[in-house]
Amino acid sequence: MNKKMNIIIGSLIIWSIAPLAWQLYTSFSSPEALVEPFSQIKNRWTLENYIQVLTADPPFWKYLLNSTIVGLTTTFITLLFAIPAAYSLSKLKPIIAKSARLILFGAALFPYVLLFLALLEFARYLNIGNNLIALSIPYSALSMPLAVLLLSSAFKDIPKDLEEAARLEGLGIFQRLRWILIPLIAPATSSTAILIFLFSWNEYPIALTWISKNDLLTLPVAIARIAGSSVYSIPYGAYAAATVLGAMPLLLIVLLFQKQIVSGLTQGAIKG
Amino acid sequence: MSLILRNIGRKINKNWIVRNLSLNVSDGECLALLGPSGCGKSSTLRLIAGLDKPDEGKILINNEDFTNVSPVDRRIGMVFQSYALFPHLTVLSNLLLGLKVRGVNKDEQRRRVINVLSILQIEDLANRLPAHISGGQRQRVALARALLRDPLVYLLDEPMSNLDAQLREELRPELRRIILNGGQPVVYVTHDQHEAMAMADRIAVLKDGILEQLATPEELYKSPASIFVASFIGRPQINLLTNEPNITTAIRPEDIYLSKEGIESKLIYKEWLGNNQLLLLETPFGKLRVLCEANIRISDNIKINWSKDKEHYFDSNSKLRIN
Repeated sequence: MNKKMNIIIGSLIIWSIAPLAWQLYTSFSSPEALVEPFSQIKNRWTLENYIQVLTADPPFWKYLLNSTIVGLTTTFITLLFAIPAAYSLSKLKPIIAKSARLILFGAALFPYVLLFLALLEFARYLNIGNNLIALSIPYSALSMPLAVLLLSSAFKDIPKDLEEAARLEGLGIFQRLRWILIPLIAPATSSTAILIFLFSWNEYPIALTWISKNDLLTLPVAIARIAGSSVYSIPYGAYAAATVLGAMPLLLIVLLFQKQIVSGLTQGAIKG
Repeated sequence: MSLILRNIGRKINKNWIVRNLSLNVSDGECLALLGPSGCGKSSTLRLIAGLDKPDEGKILINNEDFTNVSPVDRRIGMVFQSYALFPHLTVLSNLLLGLKVRGVNKDEQRRRVINVLSILQIEDLANRLPAHISGGQRQRVALARALLRDPLVYLLDEPMSNLDAQLREELRPELRRIILNGGQPVVYVTHDQHEAMAMADRIAVLKDGILEQLATPEELYKSPASIFVASFIGRPQINLLTNEPNITTAIRPEDIYLSKEGIESKLIYKEWLGNNQLLLLETPFGKLRVLCEANIRISDNIKINWSKDKEHYFDSNSKLRIN
């Protein structure tokens, strides 16, 4: 049984790692090596792809910075509204809460691509195209339903006694949120934050239509431009290098927050 | 100066879980709310704390109407059954949080926390998290937090039900001493009659949200107001005899004795309890529980008797005491 599990888990890991490994391999390979993977070539390994991407105009780190700005702003705005909303949702009467959840669930599942034309009109009307901070407005709105759902179930999991004890201690609603409730949902908040950041990091159609200035592009659009930059060939190597660079910050975030996501803070609240 | 509940009632979905309850707890008095689960004792406590609002009636503390005062401003020192310690804060921060939020100045905070830590002998735990201390220690921290609230009323919701029996017995006198020291009214919820009798000056026995009897432990035992109270208070359970029309006669197992002359009975079963033994006998009145000394040898056929003045009489229809 155990051996079977190992095989299954092993294949799953290979299944998910293989494309990434292939991309990593490609990013360090010279164009000749890519065309003839099995023949002997002198310059098989190269840093040329990375050099090319990083010294382009604008340099690649500029896109990383753009995406980081949009990601952080989006995450901040979303959590700013989602936390109070989630708290309220967790306190609603069951019947109302159930319908509210259903609507939010519907909104979370809605294929947002269908909205991008309307959103583009919106951006033109308000004249907020080519603005990174403005890009976080649709991103936060689109992340909001899922964030509220995730956080409200975290609020619901907090034992009722804890908030009641805090009330009796004289803590008003904002003090309870500040000192008790938000610290207790920290694991849920950080995993929600990562999901929001990830969405904003990967989002393509809205970024493509809202941003046209070269030095304001976000990663997905910039990477797509690299892939389509030449009429005669596809620069696989540069494209792969850009992908690897674009994935690095995400890996870093997950590694940093791993402990917080996994840890169950509420243990020991109730006799255990 | 006291806590007064005046005809309070609370209903959930049209069912009354507390009905027309009036209680009066004076300063420095410990009143126990006793009853089986679902009797409304915890609901009553929540009403006093302000965590739920009564659908009718008033709650007065020191002659002031507190019925609509939010729990945030009510100055209640409550110990929860679960202790409800904030799991992400150390013991010290758990105790300091309320003081800080209520605007007590830094020196005063320190002084009071140090004082309470020493009263409860938990100085060593100050920097530990609630998850890393024992149940008994958590209970002390919860009590410390209630003391620091500087409350008008203390409410204790089954504060010892998560502790083992030995620890409970050790803690009772200490808990009573500490909690009554400040002279505030104390309301103590429990389903354990021994605990109620040990802790409380008076006991309110509740059943289905209605007050069955409010009396001292001794009165409850000696003259129960209803069949329910008679059966609920005292172990082993009181014997109920229904051989007369409309009247239920009750006699406690410990009031029945073995005698040469008396009612012929047959031993069905016996249980040795250490200093005495419990007999279950088949008699003309039905099955009777009898408590007698442990060292008496019991044959299969014995005679029992009891004195008339130990009998309690209840109306079989209203279930209430007669006389």
